[in-house]
Amino acid sequence: GQSPPPALYDQSPPPPALYGLGLLLAPSVGLGEAPTPPASCRSVGAQRWPPRCSAPAGLLQQAGARGLHFFNFRAGSPSALRVLAAVQEGRARINPKKGCRVDLAFTTELYNPEEGKERLGKCSAQVFFRKQKPRPAINVTCTQFIEKEKRQEKDFLLYKQMKQLKTPLDVISIPDSHGYIDPSLRPIWDLAFLGSSYVMWEKTTQILYYYMVQLRSVKQWKTQEDAIDFDYTVLLHEFPTQEIVPCDIHLVWYPGKPLKVKYHCQELQTPEEASGTGEGSAAAPTDFKNF
Amino acid sequence: MKLQLRVAQWFAQDLTISKWQSQDFNTGICPTNPVHIAFYYLLHQPAVLETSSSFSTFVLHSSLCRSLAEHTQDDVDKTVSSWRSLETYNYNKYHPIEEIYQWMSQISEKYKDVVTQHFLGMTYETRPMNYLKISQPSNNPKKIIWMDCGIHAREWIAPAFCQWFVKEILQNYTDNSRIRTLLSHLDFYILPVLNVDGYIYTWTTNRLWRKSRSSHNNGTCFGTDLNRNFNVSWCSIGASKDCQDITFCGTGPVSEPETKAVTSFIESEKENILCFFTMHSYGQLILAPYGYTKNKSSNHEELIEVGEKAANALKAKHGMTYRVGSSADILYSTSGSSRDWARDIGIPFSYTFELRDTGTHGFILPEDQIQPTCEETMEAVLSVLDDVYNKYWSSNCAGKVTSTTMALSLLMFFIFLL
Repeated sequence: GQSPPPALYDQSPPPPALYGLGLLLAPSVGLGEAPTPPASCRSVGAQRWPPRCSAPAGLLQQAGARGLHFFNFRAGSPSALRVLAAVQEGRARINPKKGCRVDLAFTTELYNPEEGKERLGKCSAQVFFRKQKPRPAINVTCTQFIEKEKRQEKDFLLYKQMKQLKTPLDVISIPDSHGYIDPSLRPIWDLAFLGSSYVMWEKTTQILYYYMVQLRSVKQWKTQEDAIDFDYTVLLHEFPTQEIVPCDIHLVWYPGKPLKVKYHCQELQTPEEASGTGEGSAAAPTDFKNF
Repeated sequence: MKLQLRVAQWFAQDLTISKWQSQDFNTGICPTNPVHIAFYYLLHQPAVLETSSSFSTFVLHSSLCRSLAEHTQDDVDKTVSSWRSLETYNYNKYHPIEEIYQWMSQISEKYKDVVTQHFLGMTYETRPMNYLKISQPSNNPKKIIWMDCGIHAREWIAPAFCQWFVKEILQNYTDNSRIRTLLSHLDFYILPVLNVDGYIYTWTTNRLWRKSRSSHNNGTCFGTDLNRNFNVSWCSIGASKDCQDITFCGTGPVSEPETKAVTSFIESEKENILCFFTMHSYGQLILAPYGYTKNKSSNHEELIEVGEKAANALKAKHGMTYRVGSSADILYSTSGSSRDWARDIGIPFSYTFELRDTGTHGFILPEDQIQPTCEETMEAVLSVLDDVYNKYWSSNCAGKVTSTTMALSLLMFFIFLL
């Protein structure tokens, strides 16, 4: 038969010194960790990017949120609003002269989640911040996660609910101080969020970004075309300044038609690049410059 | 006693919560009759003795009735039906300051074996800042865990969490071995509302107020951002010298009475304080030092490791993602923050928690999210405390040697011996 392979004990054992060394090294070896990339370049699930990526903190998250402001405005559907779920991958390229370009892929959830149903949409976006200027150029595409007919149906339902509300509305603030929104007033909030999305996108810069906090003094008007036409004051929370920025917004909406928005925000002492006033329609082609 | 009770009842009815919340708050609903004031003092002696050093100021000051009402005792509680009992206290709702003060009194009464209420200092508008000390009687010396909530007035979920935390510790310490173990070596000092004046202002006038209510520029300008007022790289970055701005750093480091109250206490106990937790909203972040520089603290890696473990424990509860990092790295640059100051005077585990959410509701978090937010945050805080406890008192984890590497080392040693 075959001779058995040389047994381990036949080999001369490693010199004792090595074991001693092993004993000394063992505690530290157990804890060795690969160096982590600088936090500013880290992103969920992404590869490491070259060291010159010195994007402001949370830029990928913010780029996703802003991409969605633009997406929501353009879609013009208050019942199908999306919010950021998670950034899956992304990178930022900084060009000192031109600004910052962020490419990212992210998942989205419904702003108004349906009970029991968890929908996750997928989007990819390129967001271009032109050197401290507001109104980043955004290219965003998302997978459809609500069927068109269902979305239109919900929009019409919302439209009818709005029409049934008594004008003038006797509402001081939505939500109240405890975060409560009466279900009958929810359509107002959703529509206001749609209009505010436009404003938040327009005001956003590489540094400044916004969240909608509260609605004040809502006034609804009748129109000849039977569109929803209403004025409201929205309070936006501005990062990183922490300021609360009041904006007067006038929006006109009819299901299936592009949203029209006019606004004027109270500018604070510090002068900004953005003008405090603007208007837009989702019908107009948006400016997209190649970076 | 009966007469005193009747007078006190008259007082309590006069000073009902609804009146506190009305716009008339600052315009003389407080009694000024010195006889009435004296009776009220007699009735509330224990509470006033607590503040006896400033009692004379109290008696003469027009805000006396507010301060004393906030030290309401159980006997008055029972005679006035609008006050609630501890059994029915709803931790899933936001409470105005009067209810929080009352809750603190009731909690320290019910759990008097382990809880005492203390006076930290006065706010700008001369209201008391009270904290709770939770301490299991024991022969061994204790280290201190400090937690403050509501340094920014509009961040209502933070005081709600402080109350929840206290409730959880007290309702479970007798039969929960994890909490009992922590209490065997740690004392908890909890300040449910740091910025009392600002908090009241968010209830009466402006829900989104952030700063304190100190007056500047001859009453044309109000409020200092208390979290920019600490003496650590004061006003160097991320703060403003303009009193109109929302991040106004004050007229100087520690210029505000609220900041003074916190710093005096923490300074006096700093040798014994292991953890400094300051609770905020919103953003879902666990922030380590620093905000005033991108440089890292000497124990930065440890803080991140402990923080990430806490974030995982938090996520396991309801699936929420909290990001962990230094403030300058993952949020923005700030100077004069309480967390940075605490770290720089030597408190090793110093964290800012930014609670729910990430912008959908922001500061105005609906009440139905109070419970899940508090439950997950509880897991995160307990996780940090476990790590801190293990670091200082567990025989398993001396330094950084893990049990696996110890076993490996032993195995290799024995092989060598063969």
